[in-house]
Amino acid sequence: MYDAIVVGTGAGGGTAMKILCEAGLKVCAINSGPRTDPENDYRNHRQVYDLKYRGYGDPLRLKGKAHQEPYSVEESEYSEGRDLFEHDIAYSNAPGTDWYWKRCKATGGKANFWGRSSARFGDIDFKAADLDGVGENWPVDYAEISPWFSKAERYMGVASTIQNRPSNPDGEYLPPMAFRCIDYIIQKGAEKIGVPYLPDRCAQLTTDHNHHPACHYCGNCSRGCDVGSFFSPTWFTIPEAEATKNLTLLTNSLVRSVLVDESGTAKGVAYVDRATRKEVEVYAKVVVLAASCVETAHIMLNSKSHHWPTGIANSSGQLGRNLCEHLYGSPGYGYLPRLLGQPATPDNIADSTVAWMPRWQNLKNPREEKFVRGYSVYMGGGCGEFPGYYGQIEGFGPGFKRDLKRYYATTIGALIQAPTLPSPTNYVDIDPEKKDTFGIPQLRFHFQWGPNELLMWEHSKQVMIDLFKAMGGELWGVDDQPNRPGTSLHETGVCRFGNDSKTSVTNKWAQTHDVPNLYICDASIFPNCTDKTTTMPIVAFTMRTCDHMLNNFKKGVHKRA
Amino acid sequence: MVEHLAEMIIPEDDTAGAKKAGVAEFIDFMVANRVPVSTSRDIRSTDDAMAAGNDAQNRFLAGLDWMNARSRSEFGREFMDCAPEQQNSLMEELAYKAKFKPTTESGRAFFQMMRDYTVVGYYTTEIGLKSIGYPGLRVVWPKMPGCAHPDDPEHANLRQPATPGISTQPSKN
Repeated sequence: MYDAIVVGTGAGGGTAMKILCEAGLKVCAINSGPRTDPENDYRNHRQVYDLKYRGYGDPLRLKGKAHQEPYSVEESEYSEGRDLFEHDIAYSNAPGTDWYWKRCKATGGKANFWGRSSARFGDIDFKAADLDGVGENWPVDYAEISPWFSKAERYMGVASTIQNRPSNPDGEYLPPMAFRCIDYIIQKGAEKIGVPYLPDRCAQLTTDHNHHPACHYCGNCSRGCDVGSFFSPTWFTIPEAEATKNLTLLTNSLVRSVLVDESGTAKGVAYVDRATRKEVEVYAKVVVLAASCVETAHIMLNSKSHHWPTGIANSSGQLGRNLCEHLYGSPGYGYLPRLLGQPATPDNIADSTVAWMPRWQNLKNPREEKFVRGYSVYMGGGCGEFPGYYGQIEGFGPGFKRDLKRYYATTIGALIQAPTLPSPTNYVDIDPEKKDTFGIPQLRFHFQWGPNELLMWEHSKQVMIDLFKAMGGELWGVDDQPNRPGTSLHETGVCRFGNDSKTSVTNKWAQTHDVPNLYICDASIFPNCTDKTTTMPIVAFTMRTCDHMLNNFKKGVHKRA
Repeated sequence: MVEHLAEMIIPEDDTAGAKKAGVAEFIDFMVANRVPVSTSRDIRSTDDAMAAGNDAQNRFLAGLDWMNARSRSEFGREFMDCAPEQQNSLMEELAYKAKFKPTTESGRAFFQMMRDYTVVGYYTTEIGLKSIGYPGLRVVWPKMPGCAHPDDPEHANLRQPATPGISTQPSKN
C-alpha cells in the first residue's frame, strides 16, 4: 500500500511524483512504456547522413503494430527501434473525425521533446467566459495562480523579456535568446501593421540554471536533449524523485482503470504488465492521474463500477466532454528578397521559437473581431536543416544549385495556434466494440473544427498577406487546410475543473468532485485552450494541486498508508 | 544513367556535385528499398508505405525507360549516348514550364521525381550541407549569435558577399 499512486511521468506526473516524494510520501509512479535512456534514445549530435535512410526511416519499421501510423517530428529515424512512442495501443476516430493522436509512452512523455513555449495564462484566459459569455470560467484567477507560475518558471528556467502586456503576463525570466536578422525584419513589418512581435517565453536555458547546464545550441531539442538544457522530467523531476528513495517507478505498465472500494472511494489502480500481459493491482490512499489529457479520461471512462456506472467521478456527465485543441496550420510562407545571396546565418541552432506574434486580437473589447478570444502565431525561417523551398525554384543545373544557395537565408514561415471552443460535437468516449491488444476498450475521438477557430484561421491568412507586404517579402503559399486535429499535442477539456460539480469533473484544486482522493495533474483539467501552450501551466497547476493534497494529508483528510 | 542525371541536376561548381556526394548510390538504395521522398501521399500504415514505395520504384524505373524512348525518338540514340547539348535540351523540356511540350507529362513527372531524389540525396550529405552552409554541422556554440547588423535593422543595405557562386543580383531596397 502506497501513500500515492501517480499514473504517468510527464510534465504533470513527473512533477507530482517529485513533490510528493520530497514531502516524504511513499509514491508508486506507473508509466505506460519503457524508461527513457538519453544516451541511446536521443539524437545525440548525429547528423542526418549518419542515418541509414537519411531521416526517412525504414518503411517497414511499424509492420505488424496495432497502430502503424508514423508520428511526425518527435518520432524520427534517430529514435527508431527504441520503443519510445505508442504503436501497440490503437484508438478510434468516429466517422467524420480525423484526430491524430501522437503519444510518447516512455518516461517523461511528450515533455522529453516539447516545443518549450511557456507563456502564462492571464485573467483574459481564466475569465474569458465573463468577457464573452462563451463556455465556462476557470475556477481560479491570475492573482492566485501567479505565484505558482513563478514557482514553475523558477524551477524550469524560462528565457524571455518583460513585455507589459496583461494578456501575456510577465514572469521570472532568464536572459532571452538574441534576435536574428529575420526577427528584426519581421518585427519592423509587424509594427507597420500594428501587430506585436516579441520574444516568446522559451523554456530553454540561456544560462546555467540550478544544476543544469546552459544550452549549447546543437539544435537537437525535438529529438531529446543530451544534457538537460531544457525542462524535461527525464533530466529534472524523475531523478529528483528517485533521489528521495521514496519512489517506486513501474515501467511498461499500462494503467487500465482506477479501482474503488465499497464506498466508491479510489483505492488504487489496475494495470497491465506489458511484458507478461497480466493484470496487476496496486493500492494507495490517493490516486493521481497524469496520463496525458485524453488518456486520463480514457482510464476514468473505463473505471466503471456500480458507484460510477459511466466512469469514475462522472456524476456531472462531463467526463470526456468539452474536448478542446489548438488549430495548427501555416497561414502563409515565403521569403525575403532583401536577404537573397546573404551568407548562411545560424538561425535555427536553438531549434525553438525565438519570437512570436502573441495574441493581439480582442484585447480591449472581447467582440472586436468576428471571432471571440484570440490566437497567436509562431514565426520562423532562415537557414534550416534542409532546403525545403527547392520546389519554388524551377529547373536544374548550375543555376538551380546557385539559386538553392541564394535563397537559403531568406525563407519565412508561420504557424497559427488558435484555440477551439468547447462544443457538443467534440469529446472522447469508449469505443463500444473495439478493444486493444490487451483487451482494454479503446478510446474514440469525436471532433470537428468549429466556426470560431475557422474564422481565426481565415483572419490569420490576411494578416500574413499584410505582414509580408509590410516586410517587403514575397508569399509563396499557404496551407489549404489546417493540420489534422491532434497535431498540436495541446488538447484540454475532458476533465475540466470548475466550482459547480454539475458542470465540471474536478474542483479548483484538480480533485475530482465525486472522489476526493482522486486528483488530476495534466491538461485535462483546463476547461479550454487559449492562445498559449499548456506545458508550463501543467507544471504550475500540478505544484499547486500537490501542495493542496499535502495539506489534506496534514489535516487528516487523507491518511498515510 | 542515374549518376549522370543527378550530376546534371546538381553539378560540381565551386563545391562538389551529386556524383561526388554519392547521390546515385543513395537513389539506388532508396528506390531498391522502396522509400519514396516525394511527399504526396498520406502514409497511415505499413501497407500505405509499401504501396507508396512500390509506386515510387515502378515510376522511377519506368521514367528511366521513358527518357531513353524520348531520346531515341528525338535524337536516334539512348540518352547516355547523346551529346551533352542534346541531353540538356531533353531535360529542359521537362524542367521549365516555358519549354513544356505536349505528351511529355510522364517525363515531366519523372523529372520532378528524379529531382526530388537528387535534392534529398545531396542535401543530406556532409558535402551538400557544407555547400549550402548549414550551420548545424557545428554542434556546440557558446551562445546563440544574433543579428550582425545592428545599424541596419531593416537589412535594407546589406553588402552582397564576394563569394563565387552566389548571385550578384542586387537586393531590393
